This record gives sequence, C-alpha cells and structure tokens, in this order.
Amino acid sequence: MQAGTSTTHEAHDAHDHIHPPPEGFVRKYVFSLDHKVIGFQYFFTGLLIMFIAGSFAELVRLQLTDPNGAIMSHTAYNEMFSMHGTAMVWLVLIPLVTGALGNFVMPLQIGARDVAFPWLNMASFWILPVAALILFSSMLWGGPHAGWTEYPPISLADGTAGALWCLAIFTIGISSTMTGLNFMVTIMKMRAPGMTWTRMPLFIWATFATALMNMVATVALSVAVGALFLEHVFSVPFFDPARGGSVVLYQHMFWFYSHPAVYIFIIPAFGVVSEVLPTFARKPIFGYKMIAFSSMAISILAFTVWMHHMFPSGIAPWLQLPFMILTYAIGIPTGIKIFSWMATIWGGRIHFTSSMLYALGFLITFTFGGLSGIFLASVPVDLHMHGTVFVVGHFHYVVAGGAVMGFLAAVPYWYPKATGRMLNERLAQLGFWLFFIGLNGTFLPMHWLGLEGMPRRTATYAGFAKAFPDAVFWNQFETAFSFLMAAAIGLLAFNVIWSLRHGTLAGINPWGARTLEWTISSPPPYYNFKKIPQVFDRPYNFDQPLPYRNTDNELDEFPEFGRVLMPIPQPVGAGA
Amino acid sequence: MAAAAAQHLSGHDAIAARYRDVDPVYGETRDIRLLGFVFFLLSDCILFSSFIFAYVYLRISAPAWPPFLGGHQLPWFDTSFAAMNSIVLFGSGVTMHFALENWKHLNKAKFNGWLIATIVLGIGFLLGQAHEYSVVGISWTGTTMGASFFTLTGMHGFHVFAGVCYLTILGLQANRGTYTGSKYFGLTAGTLYWHFVDVIWVFLFFLFYIW
Amino acid sequence: MNEAVIERGIALVGAILVGVTAIVQLRNDWAAHGLDAGLTKVLLGLMALGCVLALLAAVNVLGVRT
Repeated sequence: MQAGTSTTHEAHDAHDHIHPPPEGFVRKYVFSLDHKVIGFQYFFTGLLIMFIAGSFAELVRLQLTDPNGAIMSHTAYNEMFSMHGTAMVWLVLIPLVTGALGNFVMPLQIGARDVAFPWLNMASFWILPVAALILFSSMLWGGPHAGWTEYPPISLADGTAGALWCLAIFTIGISSTMTGLNFMVTIMKMRAPGMTWTRMPLFIWATFATALMNMVATVALSVAVGALFLEHVFSVPFFDPARGGSVVLYQHMFWFYSHPAVYIFIIPAFGVVSEVLPTFARKPIFGYKMIAFSSMAISILAFTVWMHHMFPSGIAPWLQLPFMILTYAIGIPTGIKIFSWMATIWGGRIHFTSSMLYALGFLITFTFGGLSGIFLASVPVDLHMHGTVFVVGHFHYVVAGGAVMGFLAAVPYWYPKATGRMLNERLAQLGFWLFFIGLNGTFLPMHWLGLEGMPRRTATYAGFAKAFPDAVFWNQFETAFSFLMAAAIGLLAFNVIWSLRHGTLAGINPWGARTLEWTISSPPPYYNFKKIPQVFDRPYNFDQPLPYRNTDNELDEFPEFGRVLMPIPQPVGAGA
Repeated sequence: MAAAAAQHLSGHDAIAARYRDVDPVYGETRDIRLLGFVFFLLSDCILFSSFIFAYVYLRISAPAWPPFLGGHQLPWFDTSFAAMNSIVLFGSGVTMHFALENWKHLNKAKFNGWLIATIVLGIGFLLGQAHEYSVVGISWTGTTMGASFFTLTGMHGFHVFAGVCYLTILGLQANRGTYTGSKYFGLTAGTLYWHFVDVIWVFLFFLFYIW
Repeated sequence: MNEAVIERGIALVGAILVGVTAIVQLRNDWAAHGLDAGLTKVLLGLMALGCVLALLAAVNVLGVRT
C-alpha cells in the first residue's frame, strides 16, 4: 500500500489546480459551486422550513388540548398535520442530514476539494426552495389532507392542492436523487490517496449508505407521486378501483421509497454519533468494521421491509410473516451499532460538551424508539396499534430522538470548523436539556395513550376521552412539553446566529478530533486542501499520532486542544 | 513500472494508476464522469422498473386480462407491427455501436454515416410508435391497460426522442472537433444511453406484446 | 392480413441480421475491460435477446398469432 499511495499521489499532483474563489455576491453566496456554501444554504433553508413545519406541529398539539378540538376545524387540522409531516420529512430532515451535513463535511473528511459534480450539487440545492414554494403554495388551494403519505383515494379529493403536493415531492425527489448520485461518485472516486474503504471515517460510510438509498429509492417515490399526479391531472386510472386500478399499489410504491427514507434520515445521524462519541470519550471507536458493515446492511435491508407499513392494508397473509421477520432482522445491525457505541464510551474519558450530550441523549431516545419499533413490527401488535398514537410516538422517538438529535449533535461539533468560532456552550447545553425533556414529555405519553386506543390523525377524541378520562390530562401535558422542544430549536437558531459574531475563536482543532477536516484552517479555504493529504490509517486511534502525511499543517503529533477541553489526555485503552 | 505497481493496488488507486501514464487529468475526470453516467442510467432504470412493477402488479391482480371496458373485452396488442418496429430500434443500437467503433479507429466519414443511420432509425421508431398509438384501440384513461401502456411506452418514447436530440448534438460536436481519437467520453456516454434505451424496449416489448 | 405478413417478414429478416451483428460485436468486444465495456456487453447481450424475442414473435411462436 505504501508504494501505491505514493504512485497515486503523483497522479493527484498533476491536477492540483487551486482555483481562486469566485468574485461577486451572486457567484459566492447564491449560485455558488462550493460544497461548503451549498451546505450552509441547505442548513439555513432547512432550519427556516423547520420553523414553519414546527409551528404546524404546535398548532396540531394545541388543537388536541381539548377533546372536542380547541382551535380549528377538522379540515384545517387535517391540513396542518399533513403539511407538518410532508415538510418535515422532505424539506427539513433530508436536506439537513444529507444536504447540509453531507455537503459540508463529506468532501472535507475524504480530503477532496469539492464533490464530483459541483454544478449538479448547486442544481440539487436550488430545486429545494422551488419545491418548498410549490408545496406551501398548495395551501392556497386548501392544502393536502391525507397525511404525509397522501394515500389515494382520499388524497384524490384534494384536487389542485393534491396535484401540487405531488409536483413538489416529485421535484424534491429529483433533487435527492441527484445528491445521492453525486455523493456516491464523490466517495467512490475522490478519496485522498491511501484512504481505502476501511480507512474512511464512519460518517463517510454513513453518507455512502445514505447516498445509495437516495439514489435508488427516491426514484421509486418519484414514480409513485408521478403516477398520482397523472391520476390527479389527467385522470389516468392507476389507483382507481373502478377502472381496474389499485389503491394498495400506491402504498407499495410509496413505502418502497419511504421506508428507506427513514433510514436516509437516521444513518447520517448514526455517522455523526460515530464521530462524536470517540472524540469526546477519547477512545478508538469500538467495532469499526461492524459499524461500517451495519450501515450498509441497514441500507440494503431497508429495501426488503416496506410491507410492514401495510399490515392492515389487506396484503396477503402469507406475505405478513416474511416481512415481520425481515423487519426484526433490521434490529440486528442497529443493535450492533448501539452496543458498539456503548462499548466505545465505556471506560473513556468523557467530556460532556453539548455535542456529546446530544449524542448520549441520542443513544437513549433512539434505542427507546427502536424498541417500540420492534413492537410494531409484530403483525398482531401492529394490527392493534396501527391507527393509534403509539405509531406517532414511535416515529417521533426515532426521528426527533434519532435523526434530529444526531443533527443537533453535529451542529456544535462542526460549527467551529464551518465558521471559525465556537457555538456558545452554555446555550447549547441548555438547548439540549430543553430538547431532551421536551421530547420525552411530548412523545412518551403517546405510548400508553396509543395502547389504550387513542386514534391518530383525528381532530377530536371526545369518544376516547370518555372511555379513558386521563387522556385529556396527558394531551395537555404533551402540548406543554412540545413547547420546550420548540424553545430548544429557537435557542439553537439564536445561538447559531449570535455565535457568528460573539463566539470565541475556535482554531484549527478545538475538539482534538482526528478526521481530515480538522487538519485545515477554520473556516476552510475555498479549495479546502492546499496539498491533498495522504492517509495511512483510520482516524480513531487516539493513542497514536495522526495517520496523515502531507497535510497543510503537517500535524504529526497530537493537535493543539482548544479552550473547551481539558489538557491533553493520556492515551486510553493502550493497544486498543 | 507504474503497471507493475498497479497490480498491487485496488479500487480507485488502481484506476488512477492505470490512467496516470496517459493523461492523469483526463483519466480521473473520465472515470468520475463515467461512473456518474452509469449511476444516472441506474436511476433511470429504476424509474422504468417502478412503472413496470405497477403494470405487473395491476395485471396480476386484475380479474381478467385484457380488462373489460363498457362490457367489451379490450383487444390484445398486435405483435407483427411491434416486432418490425422493435427491429428498427435494435438496428439503431447496432449502427450506433459501429459509429463508436469507427470513431475509435479515427474513421470520421464512416462515423458520420453510421451516426446518421442511427438517428434516422431512431426517428423511424418514433414514427412507428405514433402509428401504433393511432391504431392500438385503447385510451390512456380508459383502463389500467391503457394507463400502463401509454405511460410506459410514452416515457420510453420520450427517452428515444431525447436520445435522438442527444445524438444529433454529439454528431455536431464531433464534427466541430470537441472530441479526439483518445478523448471521446461524450460519445461513449451517448452510445451507452442509446443501448440502454434499446434494452428498455426489450422489456417493454416482452411485457406488452408477448406476455 | 397481407400487411401483417409483410411486417413479419421484415421483422424476421431484420431480427436475424441485427441479432447476428449484435452477437458478432459482443464477441469482438468480449476481451475489453472497464466499466463502460462491461455495461456495453450486458446491454448488447440483452439486445440480442430482444432480437430473439422479435424473431420468435415474427414466426408466430410468441405473442398474438395472426
């Protein structure tokens, strides 16, 4: 390998062109080709839409403080939860975890100057605001009413609004596919010399698994919503039983994408946690190969489990058992990850920074959400609970407690690299506690409410409240706690903007982390790496010198530690 | 020496080393663009497969096929014209292959001839499809049979149309000197795309005219 | 009826011509390596299969018989 790396290194030198940064505001900040700027654009767009979609969620929660509906009509309620789900899934989570994190971090971690197709990257970003405008403009026609899944035939009653919903999701699907393609090629072809597959940081493995699903599964979603669009606009009978169509077909096509979609959110969060935990526990990651392998295993298994969303939809009984077993099987790679992370922090020197808090919180809430997922994978349990808020609780534990938590761990972790300044640590830690308590207070009661049979997606629950009088108290409790989560996100936005000006200077490597992005200045220059570094080992052996040569700063020893952490720790777990 | 070293390498190291002697910049960019293009074809393939899945699902779960419309069973598709039209499209794949081979051997006149033949055959196929649409006797909105047929073959026809435009542009570029005897990635991509469109038709022909 | 016979005749002759050419090309390219060559081989092979299908359809083995 030694000889090989030097050979390829010359090949890289041959086109070590360092382009000057572009001139002018538009080229620099609007139609930028730079992956870092595109990452910021995704970040701020995603955050903005998160406020809109989050306020829809708060309206939904306010409505449920009264069993007869507190603030709005049934139609408005349907529109609110549909828009909340749609916007959060496609316009917030996927742009934030793949667009923002993937774009900013991935090329830096593999030692590349940009992604493979910068122009395509810019196009994928600019599709996002267009899709957002189409989606939100559908509210002028009354908005979608059938939930974020828009099952026909109910969604066919939405008319123009439903057609606009399809158009928006189709557009965003194209954007995701292009991003996935771009990232696949970047990771496969543009790694720094010497960075073999088993030397890649785990976040890169996660991004690769995500990009694979983005590229493959999103097209299936585009087809599903495309067919629904044809039915809306031209009355093509794919889903109309009167003319031979099948409504279950839509569910097959939709979930073939949308089950992988939940892994599209969660696997980048896994990657973030795999970076944050070893850095702040000062220990090599436990089971590197198993974590990398399990990311790939999840992304492949994800395509084989979609029918567990359709147990009550009248699929053939002989199909239920295999899909139940396959769904259980996904728990295996996920469990491997959880145990590897626990073994990573076991016996480490843990620094309780805000990212570490978020990562530890992730371990708790995500595991909880995963366990309730195992409940739902079982056919008889699912038949009982499919239409109840148990599903809502499970989903939000996995998504808010998993994907969003992982994203929130990433923000303070990479903020210093992105801006050159530290995020305010006190505010970030306060944000963590607000978010963690708010999340559990909001979604934990849904589990027992669901077990008692409280229906989901209904604007009123007077009948249920009569049978289970505590329901009113628990719903008000959930609403109160949901505002803590909103406050945490607001605090994060404030902190991000405030710290741009007032944060302490970060320096090159404030966390003592070991991946490649921490060997260049913060914020990175336009071309990222003056010299393309060479890689000799994985980045996780904290007791050894950095495994890089030819870095911009020639960091052969432990990097300088910034203000946040304690003095240089002694090597832990020697020989590990 | 580089070749000897390359034997011990794997993955992107080996590929980078292989092209190093020729032209490092071109070697790397060609590799990246080729992989990107193949992934594009893969995602396009999934686009068709999803609609094909829908068609197969609807057909298998239908009580009768061809389905009934207004009390009358719809006709089967006529195979003879479609078989002839398929051969027109497959023939264009062969001629495109000849065009690329001739470009590799720096025979520009023959390249132009075969490329024009490809474009003509592509347009011929589109005209044949237009004829097929006019005589097929079912409608897009009538039943799932028409919905699947017109959506799938329409998408395929659109791909053929886009391919004809693409090949025309490639031909103009090639004659303007965009490509050389050793750097012709655009032509490779065009050929791959055209073969891909042909192969999609193999499946559509089987599903609609033979199954 | 006449029309169908002519169409089938053209399809039969064309299928043999195109199919044989495709297989010959496949044989010529068999030794080539690389992603594009590999993909071309797969696609050419499938196209040859398509020619076989068209041929069988032309001789009334497959599809609607006329």
